[in-house]
Amino acid sequence: LRKGSSSEWRDAFWNPRTHELLGRTASSWGLILLFYLVFYLFLAGMFVLTMYIMLLTLDDYKPTWQDRLATPGMMIHPKGDQLEITFSVSETESWDRFTQTLNTFLSPYNDSYQVQMNDNCPPDQFFIQEDSGEVRNNPKRSCQFNRSMLEECAGISDRFYGYSRGQPCVLIKLNRVIGMLPGKNGQSPYVTCGAKREDGDKLGPLAYYPPNGTFNLMYYPYYGKKAQVNYTQPLVAVKFLNASVNTDINVECKINSNTLEAGSERDKFAGRVSFKLRINHT
Amino acid sequence: MNLAICLLLQDDHEITIEELETRYNTSVTKGLTSTFASQVLERDGPNELKPPKGTPEYVKFARQLAGGLQCLMWVAAVICFIAFGIEVARGNVTAFDNLYLAITLISVVVVTGCFGYYQEFKSTNIIASFKNLVPQQAIVIRDGQKNQINAHQLVVGDLVEIKGGDRVPADIRIISGQACKVDNSSLTGESEPQSKTPECTHENPLETKNIAFFSTTCLEGVATGVIINTGDRTIIGRIASLASGVGNEKTPIAIEIEHFVDIIAGLAIFFGFTFFVVAMFIGYAFLEAMIFFMAIVVAYVPEGLLATVTVCLSLTAKRLARKNCVVKNLEAVETLGSTSVICSDKTGTLTQNRMTVAHLWFDNHVHAADTTEDQSGQSFDQSSETWRSLARVASLCNRATFRPDQEGVPIPKRLVVGDASETALLKFTELTVGNIMDYRNRFKKVVEVPFNSTNKFQLSIHELEDPLDLRYLLVMKGAPERILERCSTILIKGQELPLDEQWSEAFQTAYMDLGGLGERVLGFCHIYLNEKEFPRGYAFDPDEMNFTTSGLCFAGLISMIDPPRATVPDAVMKCRTAGIRVVMVTGDHPITARAIAANVGIISEGSETVEDIAQRKRIPVEQVNKRDARACVISGGQLKDMSSEELDDALRNHPEMVFARTSPQQKLIIVESCQRLGSIVAVTGDGVNDSPALKKADIGVAMGIAGSDAAKNAADMILLDDNFASIVTGVEQGRLIFDNLKKSIAYTLTKNIPELTPYLIYITVSVPLPLGCITILFIELATDIFPSVSLAYEKAESDIMHLKPRNPRQHRLVNEALAVYSYFQIGRCSFAGFTDYFTAMAQEGWYPLLCVGLRSQWENVHLQDVQDSYGQEWTFSQRLYQEYTCYTVFFVSIEICQISDVLIRKTRRLSVFQQGFFRSVKTHPKHASLGIMYLNSTQLVQWWFVPVPYGILIFVYDEIRKLGVRRYPGSWWDQELYY
Repeated sequence: LRKGSSSEWRDAFWNPRTHELLGRTASSWGLILLFYLVFYLFLAGMFVLTMYIMLLTLDDYKPTWQDRLATPGMMIHPKGDQLEITFSVSETESWDRFTQTLNTFLSPYNDSYQVQMNDNCPPDQFFIQEDSGEVRNNPKRSCQFNRSMLEECAGISDRFYGYSRGQPCVLIKLNRVIGMLPGKNGQSPYVTCGAKREDGDKLGPLAYYPPNGTFNLMYYPYYGKKAQVNYTQPLVAVKFLNASVNTDINVECKINSNTLEAGSERDKFAGRVSFKLRINHT
Repeated sequence: MNLAICLLLQDDHEITIEELETRYNTSVTKGLTSTFASQVLERDGPNELKPPKGTPEYVKFARQLAGGLQCLMWVAAVICFIAFGIEVARGNVTAFDNLYLAITLISVVVVTGCFGYYQEFKSTNIIASFKNLVPQQAIVIRDGQKNQINAHQLVVGDLVEIKGGDRVPADIRIISGQACKVDNSSLTGESEPQSKTPECTHENPLETKNIAFFSTTCLEGVATGVIINTGDRTIIGRIASLASGVGNEKTPIAIEIEHFVDIIAGLAIFFGFTFFVVAMFIGYAFLEAMIFFMAIVVAYVPEGLLATVTVCLSLTAKRLARKNCVVKNLEAVETLGSTSVICSDKTGTLTQNRMTVAHLWFDNHVHAADTTEDQSGQSFDQSSETWRSLARVASLCNRATFRPDQEGVPIPKRLVVGDASETALLKFTELTVGNIMDYRNRFKKVVEVPFNSTNKFQLSIHELEDPLDLRYLLVMKGAPERILERCSTILIKGQELPLDEQWSEAFQTAYMDLGGLGERVLGFCHIYLNEKEFPRGYAFDPDEMNFTTSGLCFAGLISMIDPPRATVPDAVMKCRTAGIRVVMVTGDHPITARAIAANVGIISEGSETVEDIAQRKRIPVEQVNKRDARACVISGGQLKDMSSEELDDALRNHPEMVFARTSPQQKLIIVESCQRLGSIVAVTGDGVNDSPALKKADIGVAMGIAGSDAAKNAADMILLDDNFASIVTGVEQGRLIFDNLKKSIAYTLTKNIPELTPYLIYITVSVPLPLGCITILFIELATDIFPSVSLAYEKAESDIMHLKPRNPRQHRLVNEALAVYSYFQIGRCSFAGFTDYFTAMAQEGWYPLLCVGLRSQWENVHLQDVQDSYGQEWTFSQRLYQEYTCYTVFFVSIEICQISDVLIRKTRRLSVFQQGFFRSVKTHPKHASLGIMYLNSTQLVQWWFVPVPYGILIFVYDEIRKLGVRRYPGSWWDQELYY
């Protein structure tokens, strides 16, 4: 019986009498494959066509929907692997990579470069550059954000951004969202940082640069990377002047604005950012 | 065969009564002593049939959880748990999807299992309700005293008395008896009463006259006997245990589902393995690729299918229950549809199970009586004087009486005390003459001689109605030839004519004709006794017969038959057009069996048996070409001498078969032979003797009214009205559900591809996941259940009762064409989902090309500033919500395509326009609930319209396919694209 079934299997795969491979002759295979070729070509054509039509309906400068981005996210620099900044003051190599990423990150903010590329805008008001109807007012200009505005944390006076002295700088940025206007009545949004829960007394005094930790209104609105090629994202630097050493400190920074909604509980990074700081010192 | 050996070893019927007394330590006058009886009771246990070793409830439930699909889902659930375990071990706390999936899979199996179990439980309850709960009583003589005790207290050696109307309480050796007759039909299927006498007449205990068997009924007379077997050791008990020895056959639908599971499992592993290799090749870690493999296997399991199949089958079961078929086993519904041979009982199933007067012969004419169940037929001419005489003889010479208090009951349904022929005559005369009880009172009975087997007649003498006429009237009925011997004149049109050669010949012809119809014929005659010879007060002596019993005047013949049910010939005809053979298997005489078979169409008009051809051509039987004979009647005696090959040959060569005088074992042999020939066999039966055959059959059908508990236990289905026509309804429903299940499965399978491809694209192209598995579960178990169940309500596309039964080896439930068409053609239209997905992504700022390869950034929990195509930055949660939006959008696309899908699946060949677009929507609002589901699912209306062109494409494409299939049957198009 087993013999019979094994030869049956072999016949099902290749039947030498009828020249059938898997139950079909060559011409039968040819026909069916041709059928599927045509069928799938047609489907693929239809897919490409609908995609093409869909792409035609898109605006190049502004996405159709922005409902997910009502509250912009926030992010820190340097960010470590999992948003944690841990280093030993005495071990150079433990903070070396932080200063290097900061250097790289800040290089487009060099004063010389900014002066060359961007405008010096009037502060505390939105830098609005409307299109007039169908005529695009492109490319749009951007305002200067000079590295030197970060003062102590600019990496100019202190190459190591305070890491070598146990007074690390952390840069905070607000996510770019096209058309977002983060304040009104000339009041710029500003960042405040604090320790979470029981870590309150470990944090020590903080210093914000630019003063008060503001994102000046002149950097808004953002017009998208196609229209506003040289947009320079404003930054706020926080310097931890006297944080407790050899302990984990959970820090949360958030944006304070009179127009932006507070982020919901579900998104831990909308309108705020949390990270862990640990400074080891022997 | 074991049974025969057991029986041969027993010689209780052959030994003398003295030996019997010593063997069982009893006395034929005083019975057992009470103390000894209680000892024996302790030793042997009570005298009752142990219920067949009922499967424990938990095993029944476990069986519901261990079907083919169920096993697949268990494996999938285990895989999910493993995947979940791996994810957790790797510290990925967001991966609860796999856990939910596993839990859902398990609950689906358990819930559908409960459903099936409930169905089985419910039908078991129906069966239980049939059981006679009143304990049976028996009259036993113990310590020389007559007592009435519960029948299950009886023990071997007890001396019991039985009388007409009792059920025989155990196997009994008759010690003494008077005119005792027993109905053995529940044991052997013979409807003729068997007389029981103290003499041993045969060495075979089944044949001998001095043993009465447990559970048979004593029709008349009285008898005393010693119990030789009790409980499960009785003949009936042994047959019942024989049934449990016959293995259960797998139902065709179970085979189909297994076949389907093989396909699914094979494809799942194929796909899983392919993408495992692909993932490894692309550069995923081994563990990650392993999880992909598992996820694909799980995604491939059609979770909703199990529920769909169960619900479809139970809907049909419910529909059948309304038509008097109770289905014990859900799968049996479909089995009935693939039935190709029905082995049917005669008595009660094809016939009404009551003797009825069918023909009369008087005035040299055969008159047909009305045999319909509701007396709606034509009656004969009753104006003749001869008829009045014949009716008078028939009314008076009859000992049967109606049970009291039945005025409201229609005459054919009234209960009667008396044997079958007398009952038939009583009802017949009540219908034609009217008020027989009163009529008999007017003719006062003086003396009567009851029927006995030596005289073969019954007579009674009455005073006349007219008080002035002092003559006595002697009326006599009996075997026609014996009656004719005693007659010298014959009544023709009210005239007494001498009974000469010519009339004798006329009588012979009529007698032969009626006998040839399989009818039981009785002759009737009368005479007015001479007033002088037999004056008033003459002492008639029934034993001496001191009165005239010859030179009587012949009145006529009346023949009786158990007539077929009115609906049966139609039903048999339907079976014939549906390509189903109806084989009659009965314990009755070949002639009767053949007559009924011809009457209901099992043997069609013009069909001849080998013997008929031999007679017509006047050649010996051996010279007849067996293939010329369409019909064949085989008796149990002939069957005993046939080898199984010969039986197979006979079944193959003669399309119209009748088996008569068959024993229970032979019924089993016939079923096996049919199955050897590749048929799906349905067997009907009611007696305990039928239970082995019922069990062996692919579908056993027990009779609800006449059926014994053993038969109901062994059967898969129960006919509440004992009517053959109900089986045909069942067949129709079974075929319909097969067609509709096919549609349901095609519908269910189609969405497997759009559910799977997102994952495949996710792995290979690394786009953000377009469709999450919770969404898949929602589609499978919530939105798609209702449409797929609604397909079970679909009307048949063509007259399914004009097609041949499906060949289980060729017409599969899920064939290659169905799978290929669903997966590779309609399923591929899931491009709709991707169009919609990419649209939703692009409109939010993520262009299609950016999506490609985005996965690792997109899913990084710590990246809160991933840039989209416009330069905007997104946090992880914002991306996650976008992903959920994509799930919804993809879900909506699948559902829009599934709306098209459910519309196209309404038919496989006809255009939907021909079938009627919304017929099933109107009849079953479940369809419409689909729409509500969608409304609830999302408010993102803007993306609803993107997949619509694909939905239209599916619909149009399938209409083109159906058009091609209809226009060019047998063409390449038909072969490749018809499923």
